Amino acid sequence: MVVFSFFIFDRHCECIYLRQWLDATTPSPAQPLSRPVTASSAATNTTSAVEKPPAGNKLSMAEQAKLVFGVIFSLRNMVKKLCGPDDSFLCYRTGQYKLHYYETITSLRFVMLTDIRTENLKSSLHQIYVNLYVEYVVKNPLSPVEHPGGEGVNNEMFELGIDSFVRTIP
Amino acid sequence: MSSTSRARLGEEVWKTRTDKINAELVTLTYGSVVAQLCKDLDGDYAEVNKQLDKMGYNIGLRLIEDFLAKSNMQQKCANFRDTADVISKVGFKMFLNITPTIANWSSDSKQFSLMFDENPLADFVELPDDGKAQAELWYSNMLCGVIRGALEMVQMQVDAHFVNDVLRGHDTTEMRISLVRYIDDEMPADDE
Amino acid sequence: MNRDTSPFRPASTGASPTPKHASLTASTNLRYSLTRKSIYDRHLNRTKTSELSKSAFAFLFGEMVQHAQKKVYGVQDLEKKLNQHGYAVGQRFLELLLWREGRTAKRETRILGILQFISHSLYRAIFQKPADTLEKVRENEDEYMISDNDPLVNSYISVPKEMSQLNCAAFIAGIIEAVLDGHCFPAKVTAHTAPSDMWPGRTVFLIKFEPEVLEREGLRHGST
Repeated sequence: MVVFSFFIFDRHCECIYLRQWLDATTPSPAQPLSRPVTASSAATNTTSAVEKPPAGNKLSMAEQAKLVFGVIFSLRNMVKKLCGPDDSFLCYRTGQYKLHYYETITSLRFVMLTDIRTENLKSSLHQIYVNLYVEYVVKNPLSPVEHPGGEGVNNEMFELGIDSFVRTIP
Repeated sequence: MSSTSRARLGEEVWKTRTDKINAELVTLTYGSVVAQLCKDLDGDYAEVNKQLDKMGYNIGLRLIEDFLAKSNMQQKCANFRDTADVISKVGFKMFLNITPTIANWSSDSKQFSLMFDENPLADFVELPDDGKAQAELWYSNMLCGVIRGALEMVQMQVDAHFVNDVLRGHDTTEMRISLVRYIDDEMPADDE
Repeated sequence: MNRDTSPFRPASTGASPTPKHASLTASTNLRYSLTRKSIYDRHLNRTKTSELSKSAFAFLFGEMVQHAQKKVYGVQDLEKKLNQHGYAVGQRFLELLLWREGRTAKRETRILGILQFISHSLYRAIFQKPADTLEKVRENEDEYMISDNDPLVNSYISVPKEMSQLNCAAFIAGIIEAVLDGHCFPAKVTAHTAPSDMWPGRTVFLIKFEPEVLEREGLRHGST
């Protein structure tokens, strides 16, 4: 399985964490970036040089995050309108990638983009929430309660955890 | 989920999914926090209450995530009576190993009381004999903040405050919780 | 429930002809519930083995750190605040512990004795495990080290780089300091991160005794 990228959005609709391993927009076989990119303040730093979209149609990570949120927010609302407040969507796929979605009651939204062969990842995303986010971010007293601009999510333990977790996803 | 199955869930989470530590460490640490506030604020107990509530609120914003992760609840409560039941039987059980009794519902089902037979935060505690602590200080006020913060995260704005405390010489320890409103989903900021 | 074992009661009750509750009611203006038991009626051992969730402590401790952080200048100041909180907890734990040991409680008069009491009895009572090592600092006559491979209070703490000097186990250092003080072994206790391969969060508590402690030890027990 190939994981392209991973996003966390909070109840204020802000992207508080994003991580990219492979670029989903690159036609297969995807090329690995030289190193994983973490942008903790992607949503606010749209003008920084690093995140300027490269030549061509590629989007910066911040723009991707914005688009992704737009999509999941509309999908989620549509599902709730159609099937009632307790329903939620799990994933959708295109010809190139599959988007997996998990939302907690506290309106944290976990999103992972993978290749299309990957099985549903709802339980994996739930595991990330339970074992990594709650343990290393929520319970870390040195991390702020809320994460405007992503502050405090990208601590060392959480990053390491995400890395090794992504490697174990079947 | 019925009330008895919630009690069972609380029991199960406490027994099998909770790392435990010495209760006295928590009791004494809480005491140190309150005592330090009383000192810092020079005996302004109204302000101490406020600070405790604020600290509790910050805790609540975090604690709810741990609560949801451990209890594995993935669905919102259907109504405020259910919420009360979950707070008492799962929430308090999971963190403080107590199950406060729910009482005194208002007729519109928007207000209830939690009655604390046990309060681990207040073991060993006697309020200062300075003529005003017993009239002004709500020693366990942090708990109110915790509930306020935790419920806000699941889109309920509530008011929570103590109305009785055995530490003040009352016969019960009672917290009053009222639902102010349900909070709507936040919308993403408009694109420029 | 035996009221006489309460450490809060004055020690000299024997000869006094006053009725049992007089001293309590005469000297206080506090109100007590008539139907509820006061803390004096409850046995002190009631909570000896009771447990709460580790998360509850983690959240409380975390908020304590956050709150302390607001009013400090730098890491050292923050550690001092945590030390003070620990000190308050330590004083009370010592009281509880010695009372519980009852007749077998013994007054430690040697440095080694008190350090063993801390790394075994005290540590076990609070953290349900003994400390991992107890050593003497070779170069300095007045320094000892107690180490903890994985301090409970640091379980969820990931220290950001700009605060790399910070060790929140300063709280435990405060507990240790209080217990040493309570035994008349005044000392400064500080917490330092000393990772090993197996234990990235390993913490060493450096105990530096005041000169009079060593002087007394020399007089009483010979320094050779």
